Amino acid sequence: MKLKNILAPELITVDVRGTTKKEIIQELLGLLVKAGRVSEVDMVLGELMERERKMSTGIQHGVAIPHAKTKAVKNLVACIGIKKEGFDFQSLDGEPSRIFIMTLSPIDRVGPHVQFLAEISMVIKTEEARARLIQAKNAQEVLAVFGL
Amino acid sequence: MAHEMMVLALQLGVILLAAKLNGWFFSRKLKQPKVLGELVAGMVIGPFLLGSIPLGSLGPLFPVVEGTIPVSPELYGIATLGSILLLFTSGLETDLPTFIRFSGKASIVGIGGVIVSFLLGAGITVVFHPEVHTLMDPEALFLGTLCTATSIGITARILGETRKISTPEGVTILAAAVLDDVISIVLLSVVVGISVVSLNGGSIAWSGIGLVALKAVGFWAICMVIGIFTAPFLTKGLKRFQSLGLLAEISFGFALILAGLSEMAGLAMIIGAYITGLSFSQTDVASEITERVKGVAEYFVPVFFAVMGMMVDFKAIGPVLGFGMIFASLAFVGKLIGCGLPALFVGFNLHGAFRIGAGMLPRGEVTLIVAGIGLASGAIGPDMFGVAVLTMLLASVAAPPLLVFAFKGKSGYKKNIEAQEDADMVFIELDFPSERAAEYVRKSLAEAFHGEGFYIHAIEGSVRSWQIRKEDMVFVMKRMEAKLEISAKRQHESFVRLMMLETLADFQEFVEGLQSMQRPDLMGASLMINMFAQENSGKKNRTQ
Repeated sequence: MKLKNILAPELITVDVRGTTKKEIIQELLGLLVKAGRVSEVDMVLGELMERERKMSTGIQHGVAIPHAKTKAVKNLVACIGIKKEGFDFQSLDGEPSRIFIMTLSPIDRVGPHVQFLAEISMVIKTEEARARLIQAKNAQEVLAVFGL
Repeated sequence: MAHEMMVLALQLGVILLAAKLNGWFFSRKLKQPKVLGELVAGMVIGPFLLGSIPLGSLGPLFPVVEGTIPVSPELYGIATLGSILLLFTSGLETDLPTFIRFSGKASIVGIGGVIVSFLLGAGITVVFHPEVHTLMDPEALFLGTLCTATSIGITARILGETRKISTPEGVTILAAAVLDDVISIVLLSVVVGISVVSLNGGSIAWSGIGLVALKAVGFWAICMVIGIFTAPFLTKGLKRFQSLGLLAEISFGFALILAGLSEMAGLAMIIGAYITGLSFSQTDVASEITERVKGVAEYFVPVFFAVMGMMVDFKAIGPVLGFGMIFASLAFVGKLIGCGLPALFVGFNLHGAFRIGAGMLPRGEVTLIVAGIGLASGAIGPDMFGVAVLTMLLASVAAPPLLVFAFKGKSGYKKNIEAQEDADMVFIELDFPSERAAEYVRKSLAEAFHGEGFYIHAIEGSVRSWQIRKEDMVFVMKRMEAKLEISAKRQHESFVRLMMLETLADFQEFVEGLQSMQRPDLMGASLMINMFAQENSGKKNRTQ
């Protein structure tokens, strides 16, 4: 899987402003809508929130991976948001989440989203990579962390 | 023609009945490998014993056919198909990465065993056989070669049953057994080449032998390289048909074609079959192909072993029984010393060396194939064929208890190589409150992996384990009572963790769903109320 085909500057924000879980997810979804990757906003938002309800996607070391399988997309789409001050996403280690990687993948196809997330996680496994992401001033600097 | 086919149908029916029933008897009642039962069944119903009894107007069911092979060409053809199926599945079941990882140590052990066994086997033939004067005599060559091959099937089964496969000794034994089967098969090609020249009255030139050896090794190497590189692409293309059955059937088609090409190149057909199996063993659909091909092999492989048993001419063995016992003993010694001694130099202690030597003792399918080809080409007579079968029988009967005994006690390795292997692996564990919960999540995980395009295959053993495989990703999932464990290479750890996280999120939803459900005791009570309500009204009906 090529990260280059999935990530683009317009799908990245280094200034997430939302102050609730829903607002943050809405804001990230807004990036996908603006880039023309998703149109059925309400349905997708409902699916993302439903997944959060089952179990928080806030994982460790300030990383959260809100995601859902949905009919609204035919291929995997993803976006990245950075919130420098962090937000309590009810993550597993209790740390506030600063790096948000959102993915939407089609329901009926063999899902590439786990593969995508696995590849992303390989990159942000190191403390140094995560620090670079949090300190990024623009989308290009975020992409650079992923070698793009 | 119709008569021959009728006889063939009757013969196959009788063979299957006898081989299957006796195989069952040997494995269940005598705790011996099934193959022994099938072989013995063939001996008993074959042309040299019960098969020669005339059955009314039909005559004997298995009449002695003149020539080198005492059974009909049609029956021998079906048996050959059985040997192709057997080697194709052996190739499919070979774990090439393990083979490569331990290939250094295993090569030394395997080659040591081959050299010592070959020299002892061929040497004793020269010493005891008045007509054989040199080691280059076809008879000496064949008897030497049939000493070399270890039965992967028998060894793997015993190591699996005693849970010793992943020990340093176990892996070395298996890798060395694969290697010496390969060497034996290549050696067989060379020996066949020499025999053909020798039996046709030609003189053997060393350049000619070199050419035959080169051809054998060359064909092996070229086919292996092409096979291993093309099999993943081939299966990827075949997956488009969306039928695993079709994929398995076509792969067996390739095995048959390559078997034929091997024969055309002057090698044994089984080489082609084994290479095809080994090539497909590295694809993510290997287990699926194996499962389907094994279904067919279950019918034809016993025919092969039974027909091999039928070739044993008891009258011919009689005079060479003494020689047979000496030969079999030397075949044991050849492996014990040939494999055990080199093992001492590659990190094993005396205990480990003994285990490896004992593990290399079983002889099986390749021994019979070598002997069968020798008999068919006229290089060995029925007496020496009998010696080969005797060796195989004795080795297969003696090896299992010896191996079980050898594996008792401490590790036989000087250093801990398992730790090295574990460093590249991660083991992710989940504990559940009950076996049922663990089993529910295990099934959900399997479904989730299946949904991601993985193939899941149950692994036989005392712990319930499954292999989960897609292209280069291979995980092993185990359920030990209420605990689930997935092992994966470090580079795939994130993938596995995410898959487990998603499955647990679904499980969480399921649990919440259960909690919101009406109380089961109330549901049960309502069931009972309805039942008695009906009963009461029934009684009323009757009394009215």
